[in-house]
Amino acid sequence: MPVLEVKGAHRWFGGIHAVRGVDLTVAEGELVGLFGPNGAGKTTLFNLIAGAVPPMEGGIWLNGREVTRLAAFRRAQLGIARTFQIVRPFRSLTVLENVMASVPSAMAERDNDADDAMAILRTVGLAHRAHDLAGQLTLGMLKRLEVARAFALAPCLLLLDEPLAGLTTAEISELLAVIVSLKSRTSIIMVDHNVRQSLAVCDRAVVLDSGSVIAEGTPAAVRRNPEVVRAYLGEAVTS
Amino acid sequence: MTLALQLIANGLVVGGLLCLVALGLALIFGVMRVVNFAHGEFVTLGAFATYLLVANLHVSPLLGIPLAFALGAVAGAVVQRAIIARTTGRPELDVLMTTYALSIVALGAFSQAFGGDFRSYAEGPTGTLTLSGVTIGWRSLTVLLVCLALGGATVLIMRRARIGIALRALAQNRDAAASCGIDVQRSELFAFSLSVGLAAAAGSLVSLIGTVTPYVGHEWVLDAFVVVVLGGMGSITGAMIAAILLGLVHSVASFVLDDSWAKIVAYLLLYAVLLVRPQGLLGRADG
Amino acid sequence: MAESSARRTALFGIVATAAVASLCAALPWLGVSAYLRTLLYYGAYYLALGQAWNLMSGLTGYVSFAHGALAGIGAYAVVIAMNAGLPLWLSLLCAAAATALASLVIGLTSLRLRGTAFTFATLFFQELVLLIVRKLPFVGGPGGIVLEEILPAWLPYLLMLGVAAGATMLLLVIRRTRTGLRILALKDDEAAANAAGINATRLKLILFCVSAAIAGATGAVHGLFASSLFPNVVFAVDLSIVALAVPLIGGAGTASGPVVGALLYVVIREVLQVIAPGMHLTIVGLVLLIVILFLRDGVVVALARAIRHRRALPPALAIGPEPR
Repeated sequence: MPVLEVKGAHRWFGGIHAVRGVDLTVAEGELVGLFGPNGAGKTTLFNLIAGAVPPMEGGIWLNGREVTRLAAFRRAQLGIARTFQIVRPFRSLTVLENVMASVPSAMAERDNDADDAMAILRTVGLAHRAHDLAGQLTLGMLKRLEVARAFALAPCLLLLDEPLAGLTTAEISELLAVIVSLKSRTSIIMVDHNVRQSLAVCDRAVVLDSGSVIAEGTPAAVRRNPEVVRAYLGEAVTS
Repeated sequence: MTLALQLIANGLVVGGLLCLVALGLALIFGVMRVVNFAHGEFVTLGAFATYLLVANLHVSPLLGIPLAFALGAVAGAVVQRAIIARTTGRPELDVLMTTYALSIVALGAFSQAFGGDFRSYAEGPTGTLTLSGVTIGWRSLTVLLVCLALGGATVLIMRRARIGIALRALAQNRDAAASCGIDVQRSELFAFSLSVGLAAAAGSLVSLIGTVTPYVGHEWVLDAFVVVVLGGMGSITGAMIAAILLGLVHSVASFVLDDSWAKIVAYLLLYAVLLVRPQGLLGRADG
Repeated sequence: MAESSARRTALFGIVATAAVASLCAALPWLGVSAYLRTLLYYGAYYLALGQAWNLMSGLTGYVSFAHGALAGIGAYAVVIAMNAGLPLWLSLLCAAAATALASLVIGLTSLRLRGTAFTFATLFFQELVLLIVRKLPFVGGPGGIVLEEILPAWLPYLLMLGVAAGATMLLLVIRRTRTGLRILALKDDEAAANAAGINATRLKLILFCVSAAIAGATGAVHGLFASSLFPNVVFAVDLSIVALAVPLIGGAGTASGPVVGALLYVVIREVLQVIAPGMHLTIVGLVLLIVILFLRDGVVVALARAIRHRRALPPALAIGPEPR
């Protein structure tokens, strides 16, 4: 059974048809890369899956269970964790407390105690800043905290919204390594504009443009797809 | 039938006044995301200014209306610059409590200066007008007409004038408006001054048909808050519709039951609306 | 390291609170004047009410204007219960429960939303309760009600100390619990908290009910103290103003803030009684305004910041680059 099934999802914002009839399936242990030019509807699709925004048409199933109308916190408790494009840490809490604030899903045996939280922080390389206020961290560290907090939910589906944006080259390789290591414990959908590096690690790529899926397949196939090139670079460049 | 028309006429007068007060509140919230808890004190300011003018100079209270507006606008400008502008970017709690603290101080100042006496004056329009069986006092009619005029002028400004468009842009997206060259600080100053000027003018009108006490503005503004929440925070059209509605509900409920029950009905209605349609009539769904 | 020091601070706070409360409780038998005892009573009263407000509004940032009315409901409830023959402990319990139930009117209608809906719902609640109480015959109407039983003076005094101390300890402890953590998380960013699996709406609702229950208990004890209640006095907006001014001036969200605030308020009241009676609320408003504009986050927090500033290194060195 696939971890995630999205069928015919539609979402309008006023006159803008942000997501047009998107179908998406994610299998267990898969790392799916979600690509597309700005405004393609990637974040909206994430919001639909995570429950921040309800779809106007279509349905969403998590491990066979329909979650289309469930509230965001309910979905989180069922195993859908997400990070935000612009980091949203709990600034008045320490790094450790940020991780401990997450309510683990039904998959976990119990709430994360301090030791569990430290282990998660070690995974993302933030253990040495555990007792600093989140408000004092650099962007690179906050990005990692986002991932740690999402992972503390013991999710079965992890939605990463541009986790690598704004990071240095070294930070990107490090975080990518962490993300790949998480594959064994959760399925992942990752949106990012660092196309080369993201394509290198994902099992499958899905490309959106103007709210619809225009290409889907292995990274190699998608990279060569003329539709994709046109969507990113315009009519003039089509090899 | 005449009874119904009479009730409607009464309701429109109250609704018109509520509209004027609520308009300012909705404008300030829409543009600046600030809830002006001190709004009522500007109403009181206008009421007392007009009373003092009439009681001491024995002129027509109609002169008091523009005077009150000007006084309110100037006082508002000072308050906005000196106090409210300092709280931009601060958490919501701080901004909320700033205007609330202001209202406490202002109310105390009024109470200290004027005491709890009920004041009123006899100058101004007198007599009644009877149209198809409906009797309406000339004072009430004046109030209604002025409310219409001021309300209409404000809506016109918001739709046509450059500053009105700038304010609407600010209300929708602050950063985008700023990057289009809109002077945010000046616009906010204008919005606040205009809003409390309207409130003061409303106060002037209140002095025409009611008694003036330090609490007069406070009472009207409570109902105005009901209107603004009912209509949807920040929606001017919503506030106007809700104001008329509330005025009518008040008029009918006061007639059928009594004044206190009318208020109770209004509040319960509000809670019911919040339960079923939390964003109010025309508000945005994200609160 | 930081964990255990924070735990030690909380423990110290609890012990200190218990010690001070015990000392105050013993004072009547140590021959202290009735005047001082009354002052201490009022200090405890404002502290208890302030902590009740603090528990909800200080921790979540959702401002409540209804805490005075909630306390009033508690006062009325306890008098009605006692007059009906219920024992003291049961009456107090009923008062707290009745208040918590009443708070659901606000909570269920407005806490699903973010933003100012809750604040308005509390604003209107204050007015609504006053109107209703004046209308209902079984609560005595505009004439109010009177407690039939005569209680010894020390009883409300001890009870109020207990409520104030208990509420303060609750504030001290809650920051250390997982639930407290999640409450602060939702204050920082409610959407992110929801995404982290926190049921923000339910948390707010529960917190508000507890806050209301404490306010109800506070009002109930004061009802026993005052013994005759008039709706225009009990449900005047003044008490709601005190409920929010005390923690805000001292420092909302902290356990010690309301203590400082309550002390300040008692002093202001006493001083103004002589100089300018009737002005105390206005002066409080002025102090509140000054504190908000110039002493961010209240006296206690501003003080702590100033002390840390003296001792701390310049910012660049305090944070530093991350070692690789």
